[in-house]
Amino acid sequence: MANVVSLVRVQSSEKDIKRSVLEAIHLTGFKPSESVKSVVIKPNLAYYWDANTGYTTDPRVVATLIDYVREKCGGNVDIKVVEADASAMRTKIAFKVLGYEKLAEEKDVRLFNLSEDKLIEKTVRVNGLDITYKVPESLLKSDLFINAPKLKIMKIVKITCAMKNLFGCIGTARKIVYHKFLNEAVVGINKILHPHLTVVDGIVALGRHPIKLGLIMAGVDPFSVDWVASQIMGYKPSSVKFLKIAIKEGLGKTSDVAICGEKVSEFAKVFPKEGLVSTGSLWAVQFWLLKTYRQIVGDIIPPVFEE
Amino acid sequence: MVNVGVIGLGRMGMLHLMDCLHIDDVKVVAAADSSKKALNKAKSFGVSRLYTDYHDLLNDSSDLDAVIISLPNFLHFESVQLALEAGLNVFVEKPMARNVDECRKIVRLVEKSGRKFMVGHVMRFEDDIVKMKEAVDKGVIGKLEVVTVEEVINGPFSHPRVPSPVAEWWFNPEKSGGGALLDIGYHLIDLFRFFTGEDCGAVFSCLDYRFNLPVEDGAILVLRSSNSFTKGIINVGWYQKTIYPKYDFNLTLHGNAGYLSAADFRPRSLYVHALKEGTKNLLRKLFGRKITPLSYTYYYEAFYKELKHFFDCVKDDLNPSVSAVDGLKTIELIEKAYKSFNEKGRSVD
Repeated sequence: MANVVSLVRVQSSEKDIKRSVLEAIHLTGFKPSESVKSVVIKPNLAYYWDANTGYTTDPRVVATLIDYVREKCGGNVDIKVVEADASAMRTKIAFKVLGYEKLAEEKDVRLFNLSEDKLIEKTVRVNGLDITYKVPESLLKSDLFINAPKLKIMKIVKITCAMKNLFGCIGTARKIVYHKFLNEAVVGINKILHPHLTVVDGIVALGRHPIKLGLIMAGVDPFSVDWVASQIMGYKPSSVKFLKIAIKEGLGKTSDVAICGEKVSEFAKVFPKEGLVSTGSLWAVQFWLLKTYRQIVGDIIPPVFEE
Repeated sequence: MVNVGVIGLGRMGMLHLMDCLHIDDVKVVAAADSSKKALNKAKSFGVSRLYTDYHDLLNDSSDLDAVIISLPNFLHFESVQLALEAGLNVFVEKPMARNVDECRKIVRLVEKSGRKFMVGHVMRFEDDIVKMKEAVDKGVIGKLEVVTVEEVINGPFSHPRVPSPVAEWWFNPEKSGGGALLDIGYHLIDLFRFFTGEDCGAVFSCLDYRFNLPVEDGAILVLRSSNSFTKGIINVGWYQKTIYPKYDFNLTLHGNAGYLSAADFRPRSLYVHALKEGTKNLLRKLFGRKITPLSYTYYYEAFYKELKHFFDCVKDDLNPSVSAVDGLKTIELIEKAYKSFNEKGRSVD
């Protein structure tokens, strides 16, 4: 069966965002079960920088998802917008700074810090590696799990979109401990968590710099969404290591990916792709030079660069 | 030898500690911080006496000559008071304190103590600022008419490339005393006073709250000096996502005979500058000469220079160029700006 990934062009007005999100969902053929009682929506609030910087999910996209759920599943459904703490991000501050507190008030939904949830320890084997996670119970028990990632590049794993956003669900704040094997860790959490629907905020995407891409993507299969997203961001899907591992681990099939709506090339041609050397790599080289200089000369590196 | 205690080992405190290691006749013998990790780092720099409570450091300060205080804003007044009462010379990070009331008390305490006291108005020690001040004082641009100065940075939100948890006390006005205006605007207001050499008589302010926090994350101020009526336009914010060597700081001095821009006094490329200064330090090291700490960074060197100035004043019994009154005057202007905004943007004399 084909896993449809829909691409819909969007302007930045609230009305148009709503129209585009609903159209993108419609094109995937997704229909929520009528028995849904509890819903979690997981945006990407990786940091305190708002949607216009390309770092975090636009609350207006989440607002549309809330309206959609209420329309399809009834007004009494319990909706939680969730995020977990990260090494340098505290969810309670991100909710406030990024406009999610305001959204929760307007839409009468709960904001929930997954790091404060009951955490269930789960171990999965990926690429010969046993990886243990503390997984928030709410995600395992919800009737409907909607993944609402941002479209952006990331030095270590190249792209961060549907599958990587689930990595942000890990309950422990110090996710940096997974960074040495991040590709495997991304696949591992996707073996545990299975969102029913993914809606990608590509209104402003993040490449070498933020770009008003004007895109909403949707799909029911995170692997398929990332397979398409990587092409938009200028990477051959087969060069993205976690996608290759996902295929090996049985999480996705390239032959199942079907695209509908706008053409990938329309967005790929304007996306600010990484150059031969990524900005992240340049930073790493710069940092290495600083440390070497300090070692030889005995000069100081400002503490801001050492943490 | 000046024996020093460093109170607070966050980013600024640790930088000051490391700077001290490069200043002749200065020895850091004690340090205090609630973080054991920070204390261990201090230990690795040869600091022998370590305290998790700064009160213990001050109670045990008979062999100390000075302290460097880099605590959160809400602890500035108390720690300065205790340090001065303990007979110590004090360097305190900016802002001097949270409000005018605390600042006035500090001014009185400093006068009474007779000790050396300096606030970290570090921008006065930046190379570009020093050169521009010299030019203005020489009359190169005639009468100074308008000072336009702006700085937009990350504020308490670190850049994801160098992640660190946000210090939440910043978002509690009781503890911080204010937001971006107090954090960054403090420096820029001080620069206005520095260049005009006068107090300020008028303030109009527009504050921003785009982050839905109880403290402002951006501010635009219009100032006017009391005597020469030089105008100042100040633009500050916490909303930009940059990391060193990118630095969104701009200063233009408009006079009636010409103008000066800070950009003309800075290296065109900070990478080339870093390479040049780094190589010089490498050669100094090879030939057994003293290095110039942080010169490769351009901006961070000012932190070393301000601290060196403070200790030179302690050693030579001179008055530091930045006084408690400078801290008070700056906070007075910030309070005027808050008042102006709260009164719906009207000018407050």
